[in-house]
Amino acid sequence: MFPSRSKMKVKILNWHAVASWTWDAQDETCGICRMAFDGCCPDCKYPGDDCPLIWGACNHSFHLHCILKWVNSQTSQPHCPMCRREWQFKAWEQRRRGFQLETPGQC
Amino acid sequence: MTSSSAPSRKALSKIACNRLQKELVEWQVNPPAGFKHKVSDNLQRWVIEVNGAQGTLYANETYQLQVDFPEHYPMEAPQVIFLNPAPLHPHIYSNGHICLDILYDSWSPAMTVSSVCISILSMLSSSTAKQRPADNDRYVKNCRNGRSPKETRWWFHDDKV
Repeated sequence: MFPSRSKMKVKILNWHAVASWTWDAQDETCGICRMAFDGCCPDCKYPGDDCPLIWGACNHSFHLHCILKWVNSQTSQPHCPMCRREWQFKAWEQRRRGFQLETPGQC
Repeated sequence: MTSSSAPSRKALSKIACNRLQKELVEWQVNPPAGFKHKVSDNLQRWVIEVNGAQGTLYANETYQLQVDFPEHYPMEAPQVIFLNPAPLHPHIYSNGHICLDILYDSWSPAMTVSSVCISILSMLSSSTAKQRPADNDRYVKNCRNGRSPKETRWWFHDDKV
C-alpha cells in the first residue's frame, strides 16, 4: 500500500440525476379500469400529475378520472366500488396525517 | 327464445374495450373454477359454460350464461342471462333472467365477469329446491317482447339462496 499524502482535486464537469417515483397506494392497479396505478387511466396519455390518484375516506384509491366517472354516473349517493361505503373524497389533511403515521422519522 | 335480443348494441367505449381485454387475458390465465368461456371473436358478448358444483342440486349439469356488455362497462353492469334451458332455481326465471342484486342495483365497477360468475354459482349452490320463482309465468309474459332484465324493477327480498 502506498499511503498518499497528496490530495487529488476532482472537478465535476457534468452529472445526471435519475429519480423514480411511484404512487403510495395499497394496490397495484385501479379497481375500476384495471390499469396500473403507475400508468394512467385509459383516457390519458401520461401518468403522474396529468392522471392523478385519489383516495376515499375509506382509504381505497382509484385514478381520479375513473372514480369521477363512477360517481357522476350514479343517481343516488355513490358508494366506494371496493367496500360499498358511502364514497367521500379523503381530505388532504387526513391523508398527510396518515403519511406521518406510516413513515415516522422522515421529515 | 327472447334471449338473443341484445341490449342497445352500441359499440364498446375505449375504456370498456380495454378493460374487457384485460379481463379476458386474466380469465385465460386464471379461469374461475367450474366455468368455461366459449371462444369467439366477439368481445361484447361472452357465452360461458357453467358446471353445477359437486354435492349441490345442480351437480353434473351444464348451463350457459350469456353476458352482454354495455357501451360504458364497467360503469354500467353487464346484462347476464341464462340461455335456454335455464336452471330450475327460485331466483331464475324460465326465460333465463336472474334475480340477483349485483347485476342491477348493487353493481360495482370493481366487479368482473369472473366475480359475477362466482356469485351466480354460489347462488345455484345454496339452492335447496329446484323450482321456479313464484311469479315466473307473470314475469315471463311481461318480458315477451324481448325486454332486458336490466329494465325490470327487481325486489331483492331473499338473502338465503
